[in-house]
Amino acid sequence: MQQLLNHPAVQAGFAPFLVALIAAELFQRVKLSGLAIIAGFAVTVYLASNFNFDPLTASRKIVLLGLISAVLGLVLTQIRLHLFSLLLPALGGAAAVWVVIRILQQHPLQTALLWGAGCAAYVATLIWSMNRMENDPVRSSTAATALGMGTGGAALVGASALLGQFGLSLGSAAAAPFLILMASNRTIPTGLAFTLPLALIAGLTGCVAVLSANMPWYVLPILAVIPVSAMVIPLPKQSMRIQIMLLTLLTFAIASGAVYATWRIAGDVPF
Amino acid sequence: MHKSALAVLAVSLALPLSALAADSYTIDPAHTYPNFTINHLGFSTMHGRFDKTSGKVTLDRAAKTGSVEIAIETGSVSTGFEKRNDHLKSPDFFNAAEFPTITFKSTAFHFKGNTPSSVDGNLTISGVTKPVTLTIDAFTCGAHPMNKKEMCGADASAQIKRSDFGIKYGLPAIGDDVKLQFEIEALKN
Repeated sequence: MQQLLNHPAVQAGFAPFLVALIAAELFQRVKLSGLAIIAGFAVTVYLASNFNFDPLTASRKIVLLGLISAVLGLVLTQIRLHLFSLLLPALGGAAAVWVVIRILQQHPLQTALLWGAGCAAYVATLIWSMNRMENDPVRSSTAATALGMGTGGAALVGASALLGQFGLSLGSAAAAPFLILMASNRTIPTGLAFTLPLALIAGLTGCVAVLSANMPWYVLPILAVIPVSAMVIPLPKQSMRIQIMLLTLLTFAIASGAVYATWRIAGDVPF
Repeated sequence: MHKSALAVLAVSLALPLSALAADSYTIDPAHTYPNFTINHLGFSTMHGRFDKTSGKVTLDRAAKTGSVEIAIETGSVSTGFEKRNDHLKSPDFFNAAEFPTITFKSTAFHFKGNTPSSVDGNLTISGVTKPVTLTIDAFTCGAHPMNKKEMCGADASAQIKRSDFGIKYGLPAIGDDVKLQFEIEALKN
């Protein structure tokens, strides 16, 4: 059993998907299916690296902030604080700088400012665009699955299995409500408890993969197009399944582009 | 008055003499390489090394004391395969972007006769500090045969568990036990 749980595909694929599926079904009645994303991510963290926060490295900060953002998303789903919700992209940008601060400190000021600002802008964009889709589970779950898979795939190719697992677990966990939508042809509530941790964890994982591994910086704007395009693309008013299929084609094509762009620079996976 | 003046003179002469008794050396980066070996999937023992190392050594063989401070550039890890080097620099292993140096700072020197036999110290990898004892397998001091500068050289080794330093990627398939082997040369200042 332990050998099975040590397998990276189980840790970042099967386990988070299964746990997210159970969580999405379980919390559907209380309209908190969005918690599926953090439940799936937490399982991967537990299996792959455990909840150890000392020393507080960038990847551990991602885990910590992911958990905090899930609680925040849950609170904001229950209590509507519209003005505070508008601040979330800015808070996410600040969180991005905090996560990578130790890496930035190793570089000249100009480089550090450029990278810090780039990371902050990327995370803020993801949070803004994903949160805009909080009440549209078709768009948000499709974009989340593609964003997770794209981030994870690119991070994995860019020479970090741990960051790759973080991203892939988001994709696997987001695939659970996505699958429920496809199978049942009915909407399930996701909300900020889904979009906020997803956008924050995916954004921070992408930033750290660029700064500490071989993921090229221009993969981040490619990944940022996933939620933005899912948000703006007009969808035919036909069945939900057709909408999902169209969105899947679009977002996964972009995610594949991000992985390909990384592979062009980093080459084959070394492990 | 006369006695106290003599005492002050004696102390002031003795202080620099005792300070001089400890020789100080600077590590020669061209002849100092920390190497490591680790089991790969139970099949073979992989070798790697760090290409950039700096540091200082002091040694007082009469008082049987000394100190050593070594800084190893994490990003200089080399295993003969670039993709594996990149992976070793990533957050899965040494996390070179966040922790650009591995350090060893001695806390105690042990001698057998006039020769150092082991060094206790603190090894810091990826922000985690653990006590480690370096066993000195060979130690020689003398004049460099070409430039005639005074120098010392040593071979030292230690055994650590990488999981103690939070490096847990690939466990247990990739071994937890890591053998460290240092080849050190240092020139007298």
